[in-house]
Amino acid sequence: MMLIRRQLEEKFRRKSSWLAASAMQVFTCFVLGVFSINSAGAARRQQWNGTWIRMGMLFDETMQNDQASPSCKALPGLSPGQGRLCQLYGDHMNAVAWGAKQSLNECKHQFHHRRWNCSLLDDVNVFGPVITIASRETAFAHALAAAGVAHSVSRACRDGQLSSCGCSRMRRPKDLKKEWVWGGCGDNLEYGYKFTQNFVDIRERERKFKRGTREQGRLLMNLHNNEAGRRAVIKKSKVTCKCHGVSGSCSLITCWQQLATFREIGDYLRDKYDGATEVRVNRRGRLQLRDSRLTLPTAYDLVYLEDSPDYCVKDDRIGSLGTQGRSCNRTSPDIDGCNLLCCGRGYNTLKSTVRERCQCKFKWCCQVECKTCIKSMDVHTCK
Amino acid sequence: MPGTILENLSGRKLSVLVTLLLACQIVCFLVGLIAPSPARTQGMLSTICVDENPENDNINRWFTKKCPKVIVLSNKKSITGLQANNLVFAVQMPLYDLDFSRWQQNLVGILQIDIVYQTEQKIVEPIIELTLDARLAYSDKTPDGGTTPWQYYAHAEEKRYMECTFDNTAVIGEEREGYPYNCTMVPLFELGCLYHDYYLMNLRLPYSESKNTNLGKVEDVYLHTIHMNGGFTKIWVGLKTFFFPLIVGIMVWFWKRVHQLNRTPALLEYVLVSLGGTLAFLNLPIEYLSLTFEMPYMLLLSDIRQGIFYAMLLSFWLIFAGEHMLIQDHGERNTIKMYWKHLSTIVIGCLCLLVFDLCERGIQLVNPFYSIWVTPIGTNLALSFIILAGISASLYFFFLCYMIWRVFKNISVRRSILPSMSQARRLHYEGIIYRFNFLMLATVICAAVTVISFILSQVAEGQNKWDENMEVELTSAIHTGVYGMWNVYICAMLMLYAPSHKQWPNEPICGEGEEVEFSRLPADANASEISSLTTFAAKANIE
Repeated sequence: MMLIRRQLEEKFRRKSSWLAASAMQVFTCFVLGVFSINSAGAARRQQWNGTWIRMGMLFDETMQNDQASPSCKALPGLSPGQGRLCQLYGDHMNAVAWGAKQSLNECKHQFHHRRWNCSLLDDVNVFGPVITIASRETAFAHALAAAGVAHSVSRACRDGQLSSCGCSRMRRPKDLKKEWVWGGCGDNLEYGYKFTQNFVDIRERERKFKRGTREQGRLLMNLHNNEAGRRAVIKKSKVTCKCHGVSGSCSLITCWQQLATFREIGDYLRDKYDGATEVRVNRRGRLQLRDSRLTLPTAYDLVYLEDSPDYCVKDDRIGSLGTQGRSCNRTSPDIDGCNLLCCGRGYNTLKSTVRERCQCKFKWCCQVECKTCIKSMDVHTCK
Repeated sequence: MPGTILENLSGRKLSVLVTLLLACQIVCFLVGLIAPSPARTQGMLSTICVDENPENDNINRWFTKKCPKVIVLSNKKSITGLQANNLVFAVQMPLYDLDFSRWQQNLVGILQIDIVYQTEQKIVEPIIELTLDARLAYSDKTPDGGTTPWQYYAHAEEKRYMECTFDNTAVIGEEREGYPYNCTMVPLFELGCLYHDYYLMNLRLPYSESKNTNLGKVEDVYLHTIHMNGGFTKIWVGLKTFFFPLIVGIMVWFWKRVHQLNRTPALLEYVLVSLGGTLAFLNLPIEYLSLTFEMPYMLLLSDIRQGIFYAMLLSFWLIFAGEHMLIQDHGERNTIKMYWKHLSTIVIGCLCLLVFDLCERGIQLVNPFYSIWVTPIGTNLALSFIILAGISASLYFFFLCYMIWRVFKNISVRRSILPSMSQARRLHYEGIIYRFNFLMLATVICAAVTVISFILSQVAEGQNKWDENMEVELTSAIHTGVYGMWNVYICAMLMLYAPSHKQWPNEPICGEGEEVEFSRLPADANASEISSLTTFAAKANIE
């Protein structure tokens, strides 16, 4: 009873120390070049088409109707290694697909007002040929997809959809029950992070390229951005603690990670997109800053190799849809303003009256009582 | 009558004893290293079920993960036409195919309610009053591998307060739709025992003129549960099982020694033996019983046991200091009445905490959802009890510091007349003063270590360690270490302050350059005082 404090739980945000501890990992991808030393035999032809992110587009059709795990053969875009993981962790595939889907939705939301608006094409690459360019946008898309899976797997753990999660530490011991009674289960966020590390990165690790080539640089870039995406999930999570010692005092205190909403993670990654660093691959097969005056990117930052293509005009070859016909904001000086979004081509203005719901009153849980207001507004679209 | 063992023990024997006790202390700490962390959490996402006939009052209607109609609140289509009463947030504990073990002792449940911004609603008030209709059910495994049907465990409609903030600067206008509020956690229930294998919580958030009027758009409801780790409980109970007979044995030995003397026991001896008694009570491993019987009062009982022990320890320090200060009139025996002023602070403080505990955990025996902190009156009551306890604690420490200061002053005054004494006598007194200081130092170190280690364990817990190589758990080592430390401390007190039976010749036998065995000076023999230090001080006083 000596240490009586306010017994209500305390909240504090702290950086997870393990992240600091694994600072060695920060430049995983910079160092990864070593792996490709013996791969003089050049790149084997890719045996698989497109990206696993396509699972997100098929999510509604093939899955969710029945909560049963989908067959691995029916899933699009899996690399051989991912296929094996799918066999091993069949029950995780719903979560992976959901993660891909939420990352696509989030991408659309975050890039709603930009020249490249994260348009999805009916293509094996989901985003069209744009994704084959090692640009800022690709970096963002990869990071977001990895974050989506890490977030979704962690969430599925809390949902009880997966058969064991943090209790198993990736392998399933026979004495799982004993482990649970003795030490309880581990953190779900950690599990989500590690599963994603295996599942998403395995694609890049399966391929071997000659050191210093463009392909190898791309591989390192993907690995780095995947890591940044996964770390965003952890970075945005909050540590919450509860005192439950003698008389509710803090002589015993237990903390856990509270998963952030994916919107917060998306915001964070968009900031990282705005501050992404341009790098190049050197002859030793490592990434290095293109402009040595800049600060070195950390594991939380995005990196890219090539400049973004011109998204102003429609170009099927690079998969750009152009900004023609996009609505814009006349008064904004930012990228969503008509000036920038329309690339100086000017805009059309259309007067229209809109019926809107206004003066609403919300009643928990599911009712909103509103009045209808009529508002006239101008809609501007790019020429 | 000779003095205490502490004074008559040779330096070599004393060092052997101290080494043994230190080794015992280190073993306690090492034992903690093999245990997992004391408690673990499991976060669970609730399944949102639709209750088609909410008017049905049958309490044994339970919604599990596999309820007929499940909806997702973020999907606007699926919630049209539903009322608040239709929604049931169901959480089945624990997750996966696991079941609770009785070694996991107790369960604390905390709610996390995710609220998002919606354009139809203005920003909600920062403090939301929640009305929760919460029900708990249990189920057990049957020998043939199945489970028993869900049985009613508890039901209550409770109020809770939740603080929600929204970062207005981050996003503007319509972009806000779907942005999360930052809400505090809501403590929901505390179960004093984990008797059953499975628990099920069904939560409703009813809506009426007076209920949940401020509630925003809830997207998800998480339940975070905290339970003790079985491994930690095993190690903890193991320590108790080891220390209990040890303490009882030492107490019996101590009391026998006291009775072998032809005098009635002194106050300090009574206090010492009752300190041993409360420690034995604290060590009594009744946790074994909770493995077979349902004992929801375990939390309350352990709080009370701990409280009694602390009260006794604090009283012991006061009386110990007082007995070396000579507040008694010459020759008169000290009684507990002399200390009523000092002890009343302890009694008041502990009574306050006991009442607070009974109000919180006592009522939780009947209603596990009860919390004293939710109503304004309850909060004021609880706070006033804690503040009162805090005031008595600070008064106590004032008294204690004052007494210790006087003891040291006393000693330093007497020390100045030491050079005028004969050599044997001087060595004798110097040794006693040295050992008294040594024990004071031990007490201060014990108290400091306790405080520092608990602060450390809180810092360590705040950062989650995900390092796979880190198999050791420092938090539990700190807990077992501190627990072992107080046991060792009291063992040492009982052994060193037991009356010594050594008979000494009338002439001091101090060998030069050898180990000095301090002898009692026959002239000082006084049956009413137990230690020669007090004698020494009293004598100097008279002079």
